[in-house]
Amino acid sequence: MSQNESTIDSESESLITTDVQPDTTAESASSATTIVETEQLNVYYGDDQALDDVSIAIPENQVTALIGPSGCGKSTFLRCLNRMNDLIDIARIDGTVTLRGIDIYDDAVDPVALRRKIGMVFQKPNPFPKSIYDNVAYGLKVQGKEITDERIEEALRSAALWDEVKDQLDQSGLELSGGQQQRLCIARAIAPDPDIVLMDEPTSALDPVAASKIEDLIDELVEDYTVIIVTHNMQQAARISDQTAVFLTGGELVEYDDTTTIFENPADDRVEDYITGKFG
Amino acid sequence: MAVETDTDTGFGEVSRLRGTVFEYLSLGASVVGLFALAALLIYVFVDAFGLSTASPAWLLTYFLTLVVPYIGFCLYSISDRAFTRKIALALGGGLVVTAVGFTAIETLLVSIPGLTWQIAYLFLVATPVVASVTFVASRQPLGAAGFGLVGRLVGGAALGCAVAIMFIVIDRPLWFLVYTFGVLPAGGVYAYTSRREIGWPTAQATLVGLFGLGVSTQLRQILGIYPSDGLIYLWTLAVPLAAGAAALVTLRDGSRRAVAGVAVTTLLGGGGGFVLGSSALPTGSGVIIGAATVAATAVYLVEAVDNEGRRGLLLPLLIAGGALAGAAVVQTVGIPTPEMWLTPAYLTSAPSNEAANAGLYPAVVGSIIIIAMVAVLSFVLGVGAAVFLEEYAADTGLVGRLTRLIQINIANLAAVPSVVYGLLGLGLFANLLGFGFGTAVTAALTLSLLILPITVISAQEAVRSVPDDLRQGSYAMGATRWQTVKNVVLPEAMPGMLTGTILALGRAIGETAPLIMIGAATTVFSAPAGIWSRFSAMPMQIYAWANYPQAEFRYGVVAAGVVTLLIVLLAMNGTAIIIRNRMEREH
Repeated sequence: MSQNESTIDSESESLITTDVQPDTTAESASSATTIVETEQLNVYYGDDQALDDVSIAIPENQVTALIGPSGCGKSTFLRCLNRMNDLIDIARIDGTVTLRGIDIYDDAVDPVALRRKIGMVFQKPNPFPKSIYDNVAYGLKVQGKEITDERIEEALRSAALWDEVKDQLDQSGLELSGGQQQRLCIARAIAPDPDIVLMDEPTSALDPVAASKIEDLIDELVEDYTVIIVTHNMQQAARISDQTAVFLTGGELVEYDDTTTIFENPADDRVEDYITGKFG
Repeated sequence: MAVETDTDTGFGEVSRLRGTVFEYLSLGASVVGLFALAALLIYVFVDAFGLSTASPAWLLTYFLTLVVPYIGFCLYSISDRAFTRKIALALGGGLVVTAVGFTAIETLLVSIPGLTWQIAYLFLVATPVVASVTFVASRQPLGAAGFGLVGRLVGGAALGCAVAIMFIVIDRPLWFLVYTFGVLPAGGVYAYTSRREIGWPTAQATLVGLFGLGVSTQLRQILGIYPSDGLIYLWTLAVPLAAGAAALVTLRDGSRRAVAGVAVTTLLGGGGGFVLGSSALPTGSGVIIGAATVAATAVYLVEAVDNEGRRGLLLPLLIAGGALAGAAVVQTVGIPTPEMWLTPAYLTSAPSNEAANAGLYPAVVGSIIIIAMVAVLSFVLGVGAAVFLEEYAADTGLVGRLTRLIQINIANLAAVPSVVYGLLGLGLFANLLGFGFGTAVTAALTLSLLILPITVISAQEAVRSVPDDLRQGSYAMGATRWQTVKNVVLPEAMPGMLTGTILALGRAIGETAPLIMIGAATTVFSAPAGIWSRFSAMPMQIYAWANYPQAEFRYGVVAAGVVTLLIVLLAMNGTAIIIRNRMEREH
């Protein structure tokens, strides 16, 4: 605990509390574009294997979509990237995940400090039962950053919510509609200015109009952030993503390529069957 | 309807026989329970207020001067013709039904002891009608204003009484010094540093406060002359209360117009208590009760003055006027008054061997002091244990197994008879730790242990019911475990934790067996002077009286004690529920 606090106080830019040399090979292979890279990533929940040897390199400032049938490990993969799986006692992780060349599962990496670099938006909108203002300010508050009205406004504007809520910032976040709540969660995630925004099926609980607003928003977010999004909706993946990764049952990454290639000319027959709706 | 038959609709019918039987059985079970409880309460109230000796003329007088105007006010504030007709029908029809039914039962079946049809009417018809019109009227602006004011008056007085009783066991000169040299400077430092945003306000204020505390304890040894209790209360309670009330008004109202008014009236209330201090009400208590009542009312009035329901504020005057008018009529006409046991004198005097002089004051004070300690102890311990078990303790491995073992044992402890806890308290606190036999501290610790399992389990439920989504959201924002617990879990779980603690406190306040085990006195003649002194509690005193040979004790005095116990319990629960609802609304 005290170690965490000291990281907050110093507001250090590094995730690492002691000195660790970045993995030079990973860096040279991906220098400008790759931000997150996994190698032979295996995840087990007790005896069940949720991810099977996933190796992937995710480019910076692009939208990467993860698609696949239910239970194929997409969300598990996403939660590996900000070490949210650490919170599950029975989860066991094998392999490496690097963020800008740094192995995030290294002992010297503080998972709390890591999560401060990575925003996350969940499937069900989960604003805190606090005011809209406090919701957006939450990340700044726990990370010990200065809370200013300008920063809150900027985050809400980036989440395309400012015009709808600017007169009711003191109202509870729970009083907003589902779509507004989800955009509030996005504003909350980007307020502390993370490097990456993870989205776990952010539109599946929303109506089509609210969903399309979020899709437009993702288009704009990608100018400043790297977005990794899990989705069940293949049209959505085709519309918004630059890269698409297809997971199939058993936690296997079957194919990963440009979105156009995946949807127009997939290499693997199973992927073609899945995206044309023959199974899954 | 109940059985499957062929009908010409072509759909047939589905049997609901078993469902219907089950529905009525459940209804029957709840009705039996409620009726048994209602009958018990009615008899206790009848005994406590001596209603069985009340003449019909006395009942009629107060019914006309107090109950009828009250119902009239409520109906006026509702101003709904259909509802008024319904209420009138219930009152009138209820009168006929009760009179006829009661007489029929008495002549044909059995005579009902201790009741007349008038009293039965009072409880079976008048009380429910009053409750329902009160409920409906409190949702109208007019009624809401009136009930709000009455509530603030009663609540302020109750709070003032509770604080006054707490101060019985506090060394007043020491409190005076601690407030002057510790609390006040610490508050000043906190306000100044947090407004100027310099340094760490909490840390600096704590430091100043601790320094003041040290200075005060030293000074207490040296100084010999102190202001009177009344002046101490005026300076340490009434003045800050006035400032706080004024600050609350500026915060909510924004205008500074009313601030001075609130502050001045509160101080006047405190000063008034000083002046009015009589033998029945010691000056110090008068200051506290007066200031608390006036502050609560003044803050409310400032807010309510702008509302449309201003006329509703007449309600307390209507009630007071009705009571006075009733008393005047009874006096002038010469109607015999019933022999009441629960009177102001009963609450302010010591126990006696004569039923007419018996009082519950030392036991009430003892109970309230103990319950205050139990509330703090069990809430802190219960919430602490629950948060650890739910948020920190691991689910797997050795720690997980240990946690499960603790979990099972907590559930078992909740079922251990209270006598056993009494033995534990006797052995551990009274003997081993030397806190003394029958002292308030020993009792409070024993009762805290007794209800700890209940508070832990209910606090755990509350923590568990916080949606995991919120925790995940907090962790994903880079919050540490402590930040998540502090900012998300505790605020969300607080109403549930409070509910559990309130229910558990209800059990603690009525416990007798563990108090007997730790050697608490059944009867003491003065209020406890401190937490280390011997005490008696309400259930102990009631239990002792129930064994007296005289019938007046067994019926009148005991009933009055039971009603007092219930009222204190209700007041306590009511306060806690109001606080809880406030918290829920803030979310």
